[in-house]
Amino acid sequence: MGLGPGLFDVLQEYWPIFLKGTIGTLKYAAIAVSLGSVLGAFIALINLSKNKIANTIGSVYVNVLRGTPLLVQMYIAYFFLPIAIPVLNGVTKEVYVLIALILNSSAYVSEIIRGGINSVDKGQTEAARSLGLTASHTMTKIVLPQAVKNILPALANEYIAMIKETSLAGTFMLYELMYTRTLLANKFLVWQPLFIIAGIYLVLTLLLSWIVKIMEKRFAVSD
Amino acid sequence: MTNENNVLIETVDLQKSFGDLQVLKGISEKIYKGEVISVIGPSGGGKSTFLRCLNMLEEPTGGKVIFEGNVLDAKSTDLNKHRQKIGMVFQQFNVFPHLTVMENITLAPTLEKGVPKAEAEKEAMELLKKVGMEDKAQEYPRKLSGGQKQRLAIVRAMAMHPDVMLFDEPTSALDPEMVKGVLEVIRDLAQSGMTCVIVTHEMGFAREISDRVLFIDGGVIAEKGTPQELFDHPQNARTREFLSQVL
Repeated sequence: MGLGPGLFDVLQEYWPIFLKGTIGTLKYAAIAVSLGSVLGAFIALINLSKNKIANTIGSVYVNVLRGTPLLVQMYIAYFFLPIAIPVLNGVTKEVYVLIALILNSSAYVSEIIRGGINSVDKGQTEAARSLGLTASHTMTKIVLPQAVKNILPALANEYIAMIKETSLAGTFMLYELMYTRTLLANKFLVWQPLFIIAGIYLVLTLLLSWIVKIMEKRFAVSD
Repeated sequence: MTNENNVLIETVDLQKSFGDLQVLKGISEKIYKGEVISVIGPSGGGKSTFLRCLNMLEEPTGGKVIFEGNVLDAKSTDLNKHRQKIGMVFQQFNVFPHLTVMENITLAPTLEKGVPKAEAEKEAMELLKKVGMEDKAQEYPRKLSGGQKQRLAIVRAMAMHPDVMLFDEPTSALDPEMVKGVLEVIRDLAQSGMTCVIVTHEMGFAREISDRVLFIDGGVIAEKGTPQELFDHPQNARTREFLSQVL
């Protein structure tokens, strides 16, 4: 038994499958990072607050999610959540895996946002408060606009990292790039999909990294 | 002027500690409306901390600050209202780099006092004219010199119509050739009747514009008096030693 069909033959015949996988990957990464950002912003505020109990909860949250493998988190979400929260019983399995991705991403994003906020000079907050600005106006009008230029490129990098992380979702039959391997293995294509998948991941991450670099340059100009 | 009805700010046994380090060891002082007060003293003596307690940027760990008859409390929501009447100018300017000069000035009045934008901008232009910066209204702070940034910071505080202005070493971070322009703006303010509390190392300036001078050392007011009393006839040995080093 030889190598079988070459890469281009496989790509030519099955490109709709790879395209659907690529779209799935981009979609799951986008959902994970965008919803993870909303949740992450809350976690960041909890970690930045002066309340010690809130700080402790926030730091446990971040440490647990960053300190355990995403695959383990997905398994727990996949097998434990349906038992623990019966209300969720009707929803598709996709939702459980996505919950794991979102929670995982929120832990990383919360640290990005916290770092971005901390990077703004404390004098800015003092000046705003001394003018009589409320704490929330100080955050929304003074600190966050200045933090964004540090946060946005880091968030884009988190999206790039998440594109690779979502490959684990294929384990749970979610239609993304890695899942195309399972589909094509049924057609006795063993090695070709692996190289094609790796190539697509590489193109995606290199392309997005290049966009982030341009973005960072733009922000640097406005300094 | 030093009538009891005219007290603007009073501190009662004001104390502040950072961890084990007690920086203010009980300062009781009254600041009267229209007074210009200079606060001098060695670095680390507590003069900046004293100033920053007056608008609760530093929360006192003991004693209290009474502003216009209200005890300031960092936890009360009204603190923002009181702070609107206490302008503050910082050593490092702390202008908002992401906002234009105009936006720096109009942000707080429009946001916190509901002043219509057009009105706030009109007033901002008048204030900018006074400090010779009307042509800079649409610039971002990165295009300004240090002296211009500090004048902007003063104008930004003035736009809130404060009852008192606090200056925390306003010229210490400036290049020497920028100092004069900023001091002139402060002098104009002081002469217009604005109550001013100025932490400064500019002894000549302090002597010229102050009604009273406080010498803070070791967390207490070691000596106070008119500029003549304090600079020409200091009573305290520490005051004499300090003045002999800086004059």
